[in-house]
Amino acid sequence: MSDPNERTAGERFTGHGSEWKSAALSAKEAQGATAWVEQIIDRRSMLTNKDRVEDVRDAMWQLEKDGEILVHRVSDEHRPVHVRTLYGWDKKIPTTQLWHHKSCGQCGNIPGYPTSLLWLMNQMQIEYLDETDQTSCTAWNYHGSGIGNVESLAAVFLRNFHQAYVASKAQGLPEGYYYPLVHCGTSFGNYKEMRSFLMHSAKLRERMRKILGKLGRLVDGKLLIPEEVVHYSEWLHVMRDEVAKRRVIDCSAIRATIHPACHVYKMIPEDAIYDETVLDGNRVAVSTGIMQTLGTQVIDYSTWYDCCGFGFRHIISEREFTRSFAIDRKIRVAVEEAHADVMIGHDTGCITTLDKNQWISKADGRPVGLPVLADCQFAALVCGAHPYKIVQSHWHASATETLMDKLGIDWRARKAEFEEYLKDVAAGRGETLYDPRRMITSGPGYKRLGQPG
Amino acid sequence: MTGVTATTRVQEFIGDPLAGTAPVAREKLEEIFQDIQADLRFDHELNGCLNCGICTATCPSAHYYDYSPREIVQLLWTENLEGIYDAMQEKIWACAQCYTCAARCPFGNSPGGLVMLMRETAIKHGMESAKNVLRPFSRVMLKLISTGNQLSPDMISRDAFPDWGPNISKVDAPLAVLRKAIPVPTLHTTKTAWEVNLKTSVELYTIWEETGVLTSLKVVDPNLFDVIGDIMDEKRDEYAEWLEEQEEETT
Amino acid sequence: MNDPILIVGGGPAGLAAAHALARVGRRGVLVDKADRLGGAPILSGYAKLVPSGEWAKDAIGGMVERVRADPLVEVHTGTTVRAFDGSPGDFTAQLSDGTAVRAGAAILATGFTHFDSLNKPEWGFGTFPDVVTTTQVEQMISSGRGVRCPSDGRKPQRVAILLCVGSRDRQIGREWCSKICCTVSTNLAMEIREELPDCHVYIYYMDIRTFGLYETKYYWRSQEEFKVKYIKARIAEVTSDGQKLIVKGEDTLVKRPVTIPFDLVVHAIGMDPNVDNKTIASTFGVALEPHGYLARGNSYGNMAETSRAGIFVAGAATGPETIDDSIGQGHAAAISALGLLGAARAIA
Repeated sequence: MSDPNERTAGERFTGHGSEWKSAALSAKEAQGATAWVEQIIDRRSMLTNKDRVEDVRDAMWQLEKDGEILVHRVSDEHRPVHVRTLYGWDKKIPTTQLWHHKSCGQCGNIPGYPTSLLWLMNQMQIEYLDETDQTSCTAWNYHGSGIGNVESLAAVFLRNFHQAYVASKAQGLPEGYYYPLVHCGTSFGNYKEMRSFLMHSAKLRERMRKILGKLGRLVDGKLLIPEEVVHYSEWLHVMRDEVAKRRVIDCSAIRATIHPACHVYKMIPEDAIYDETVLDGNRVAVSTGIMQTLGTQVIDYSTWYDCCGFGFRHIISEREFTRSFAIDRKIRVAVEEAHADVMIGHDTGCITTLDKNQWISKADGRPVGLPVLADCQFAALVCGAHPYKIVQSHWHASATETLMDKLGIDWRARKAEFEEYLKDVAAGRGETLYDPRRMITSGPGYKRLGQPG
Repeated sequence: MTGVTATTRVQEFIGDPLAGTAPVAREKLEEIFQDIQADLRFDHELNGCLNCGICTATCPSAHYYDYSPREIVQLLWTENLEGIYDAMQEKIWACAQCYTCAARCPFGNSPGGLVMLMRETAIKHGMESAKNVLRPFSRVMLKLISTGNQLSPDMISRDAFPDWGPNISKVDAPLAVLRKAIPVPTLHTTKTAWEVNLKTSVELYTIWEETGVLTSLKVVDPNLFDVIGDIMDEKRDEYAEWLEEQEEETT
Repeated sequence: MNDPILIVGGGPAGLAAAHALARVGRRGVLVDKADRLGGAPILSGYAKLVPSGEWAKDAIGGMVERVRADPLVEVHTGTTVRAFDGSPGDFTAQLSDGTAVRAGAAILATGFTHFDSLNKPEWGFGTFPDVVTTTQVEQMISSGRGVRCPSDGRKPQRVAILLCVGSRDRQIGREWCSKICCTVSTNLAMEIREELPDCHVYIYYMDIRTFGLYETKYYWRSQEEFKVKYIKARIAEVTSDGQKLIVKGEDTLVKRPVTIPFDLVVHAIGMDPNVDNKTIASTFGVALEPHGYLARGNSYGNMAETSRAGIFVAGAATGPETIDDSIGQGHAAAISALGLLGAARAIA
């Protein structure tokens, strides 16, 4: 390499002409002059404080004081971990007594996604409730079709979060015992948007009081608003060291690319976790944090910020767009530029899009294949979860087998076990991760049970 | 050839580009814009525009369609009523709803959010574009409105998604068995993504009714509206019966 | 009644105020928290200044020497003001070095803080070594080392300068225009082209605000003589393909999204309120305006007033400001302070 300070003929460094003279700062002076930009300090909290950008949670506390709403708190019993968000603000992530707010896309076609999450929780003795009294957030349909509106979305948000608050009563536990954990990125973004609109609009709150009142879902006549809207990937992030302790498969040879989900970190960006220990806090921490902690190599690529191409309606009715985008701007870049072994995501729509839209690349003669998994599926896999019974990798269209080969997992044998196990399942002897009687907390099918565990 | 012809030679050759398109009355255009503007989110999501293009720069759809979020913002900000109406015919449906534009806009606008207000309004006015777009969505909507679940395992099939290839399921077994092999009891379903309590669905019907969702559905897809209405009646009856049984058991 | 006037901050505005006071025979006490005088142009190692083209070290260095040599100015570097009490004509300041200063009035020339690009992570600063700030490029030039890619020291062939980094951006609560960055960037672009004639320089802008006479001297000249290319686009993200930096924007005039590789990306960083402004406001009992700068008490009647009588303000402490205007405001603050003390004497 040539000396950067060497000047070659024809290359002048002469300022504005003959009057130029060197300021001749010493190397130390030069370094000192820009040292301020190199300091890794408490910078985001210092520079973008709440005088500059509004924190909707402050509006919540005020409305609670005014007696308009009740805030469902992340309390000590939820054993919260404090994290920092984009501007250095605090966010409380509950780690136990969690109410699973499932994702329809995950449950519908990537069932290994929630299963892996629940399996990890079982490994770590995390208390949770998975029940039938919940709806989709309805935001996929809304963003895709335009059917729905701010009132319907807000009402669904308030209804589901109210159910999370009262579900514990079925077990004879106090209200607020369980804290909602949102599985879907679309729901996570949507619920935070709705919370923000609710805090800003007295009119919307008034409408909601009427509707939620009709459903019997007010608390002391007030709307119930969660202190934090929490995504499962945030839970996984704060639990990453605990998870890594349970890792049984070496994954240091794995080159992982991360696909961060737009509705997770771009929507309400001030609420996304940035962690100094994860890429110096310059990229959203979830997924990257757990993958690094598990020991994989996280590889950057030039289209990291791009969306997956899901498009809500595009994946159904504008498929050329979705598959072109997924292949050309994500999968092919990860394979050819980053030489990735896997792409890891943390949202329903992205995983579906990136996983399912690879086969069609054969059509233009440039086939591309890259295993696509959710962060919690990868974590479960390397912690010894069964690749089919738990990770349910057979629902993935992408070549998860190549990843398992590289991890040294004998997937053919595991698959044969699973196919054998299907006979037990067909005979009604399937295994479950929790007592199925707990899944109904009221209405048809409800039977009163004692307190858990 | 003598005399004066009414059309130029170019018009004869390419036809009149405006032929067959009835002009839209000014009142109608104003009504549409007022509906967009009436939403409480409008002022929150449109603050002005610096025309910097960061929204279009980061927009996935702008790479593939004749679509630019900056153009949408400009049309709304300048109250270009014809332009807004035009965009609602097609362009607004190109948006992928990723909201990257909103995360980037230095003015704090949400072009993606504004597109949603325009989509809602297109539906309210029964615009042809909305009807076309919603047709392939009817299964999702039927599922969603009647159960509260947007997606179900039986919707993912090789016939429905041939471009997804043969590996949609890598284990050859009946769907019902594969579902029961998921160790999460709420997922042992094929017609909904998870088992939804009847009480839950019935609660959701109240939300649909109270928030005008069914009214908009009726405008764009009257058939679907009828089907959903029947399902809702059935489920409500079923729930009412259950409630009566409870009453009897306790008395 | 011959108490000195306290001047806080030894950058262009404070130096100008101290000098102006000394010229009419008034004593000044100049306090600066840094270990030397000169303010941002010296501390941050600026290269050639707008509009004279003189090196910062020569131009501002000359002001420093003049003040240093003046027996009427008492200088305390590495010092802050701990407490400030009293009333116009009779203030007492407690300095961090233990000195107590009786002062007739005070001039706050406390300046600004450079925007920290780490607050806009999507533009790659902190992630990619070849994403730098205008201050760092100034430094490369003023040190005599020339403009190089920090990753490997190579001469860049394509440089992108992104304007409005930390300015005009509600996402991060910085709605103001930092006023100087357009001109500084056009100036830097010309300097880069001069040093590296084979290097292509692109400036990505929302609006070009080379106000007043800077239009021809910088904006036009940079195009006509130096072939600097201007693209009306705000960049969405800066990433890397492992070889080059990848810059994603919309060319708003051609109306197409563009993705372009670069060797070096320069953030034209804006001017934040001084990070110490809250402390300064509480120590001196003066108000801040909504952006976080020191509030002016009066825009038309008396220059340089704050919300508190006897305390004046000058330069970038009041908002983004150029060096030459800061110097002018330093003079204005000196005159206002003298006027106040003169009036006090007349009443007494």
